[in-house]
Amino acid sequence: MDVAGKVAIVGIGHTVQGELPGRSVEENAVDAIEAALADAGLVRDDLDGLIACKSAQGLGNDVAVGELLGANLPYVQCLDYGTCNFSLHLAVMAILSGMAETIVMSYGANARTGKVDFGAPLGGVDLATASGLVHIAGPAALALQRHKHLYGTTDEQFGWIAVGQREWAERNPNAIFRKPLSMTEYLATPYLVEPLRRPDVTMISDGGVAVVVTTAERARDLPRRPVYVSGIAEQSGVRGAHDPDNLLRPWLRDAARSIWARTGLDTSDIDVLYIQDPTAVWSLQMLEYYGFCGLGEAGPFLAEGHTRPGGRLPLNTHGGQLSESYAWGWMHMVEAVRQLRGEAGERQVGDAEVAMYCSSQAFSKAAASILATDPAVAA
Amino acid sequence: MTAPLLPDVADPVAGPFWAAAREGRIAVQRCLTCGLLRYPPLVGCPDCLGRTYEWQDLRPTGSIWSFAVYHRALHAAFAGQTPYTVAVVELDDGPRITGRIARDERPVAVGDRVRASFEVVTDEVTLIQWHLEAV
Repeated sequence: MDVAGKVAIVGIGHTVQGELPGRSVEENAVDAIEAALADAGLVRDDLDGLIACKSAQGLGNDVAVGELLGANLPYVQCLDYGTCNFSLHLAVMAILSGMAETIVMSYGANARTGKVDFGAPLGGVDLATASGLVHIAGPAALALQRHKHLYGTTDEQFGWIAVGQREWAERNPNAIFRKPLSMTEYLATPYLVEPLRRPDVTMISDGGVAVVVTTAERARDLPRRPVYVSGIAEQSGVRGAHDPDNLLRPWLRDAARSIWARTGLDTSDIDVLYIQDPTAVWSLQMLEYYGFCGLGEAGPFLAEGHTRPGGRLPLNTHGGQLSESYAWGWMHMVEAVRQLRGEAGERQVGDAEVAMYCSSQAFSKAAASILATDPAVAA
Repeated sequence: MTAPLLPDVADPVAGPFWAAAREGRIAVQRCLTCGLLRYPPLVGCPDCLGRTYEWQDLRPTGSIWSFAVYHRALHAAFAGQTPYTVAVVELDDGPRITGRIARDERPVAVGDRVRASFEVVTDEVTLIQWHLEAV
């Protein structure tokens, strides 16, 4: 089934991103839901679906968020992992199948004030973790080191991801890290897990985010300019370490192939690009695999400044997880909607009509969505 | 002092890997249906879905596929050990195994030749670690 132009994002909402001590994941999610409903010009009783997404600690599931939201909606589901892309895809499928018409997707986190240990091994302890390969920065650093070896990528080229996103964040009042970061300062920052520095790795913050999605037909009667879903694609790499090159996540290429084939669009159609970024390595890999530059060419491409303010491929215009907030990639979609509505203030990209959001579940799954102001852009 | 991160050496699937390490060997599963050497340990073969396997010793030599240097301990168990280097080693027999570069080694590079040694941590746990071969 072709999804293009049939479903639209009509509401976005979020709490303050930062430190929200004493507040539960569910409170943060429901506060964001209320904000998203208000943005959409809707009330709780207009909803017939909730798609919750667990936090990294497994909190904020559909039953817990649903209880606090206090509504026995017909369609209530939960994802074990988010980035917002996977939730959007489930919402699109539920709406197009007739299971629901108007769905709110939610996410909440309290990982910062909850002092979650992101270095704790997620599964059992194997030789790698017992040897000290802990935290997402470890495998990301291994992937970057291999990229440097294969393609000659330099620290400075790679640093333009973090430095460029900070330039965007300076223009974003919601961003947590807004202090200017020059390339000289970046290069003077000590390594965290070499070759990664602290600015290359996500911050951790508290907060909730929600997005309201409905049919294109209903969207036309709502106050905000609808942002249509032009195409969606996913690709897994769940064989994991049994594919020897899995740290390089070659299956991202297959997600790219799907999204371009399904929409009939290509990289030149994308006005603003969002890449979920627990580390800047994700952006390096996805710029290449989605075809914005050639394989191995992301270093020189970044150094040419295309992704920075004023460049032809604005990337993570809110600052991403490196400079704006943690929020597991959910704020990327919020920002894409803001840009397409023309509500991005000082960082607004002129005439932004088509946005793309690429994300992944670490070394296991990829998802991509294309959003547009015109429902027929990919039809 | 936080306790070290230790594997469950009694794990029904991975146990023989740890038993081999205790005896100074690197052993991985070999699928009896298709012959695939697989690591990390898994109950079945991801290529052919065969459920029968045997443990096969591999040569303790290989080359560095990639590496990362921890300048900060991102888990309390490694406090006081920084800087330390973790490397993905492509064994001469095929599989890639991730482990620690021995502490006294010089800085490493992708492609460097390495040889395993066996670091006794507790009575039950021995970790495979890597030494650079003389150039």
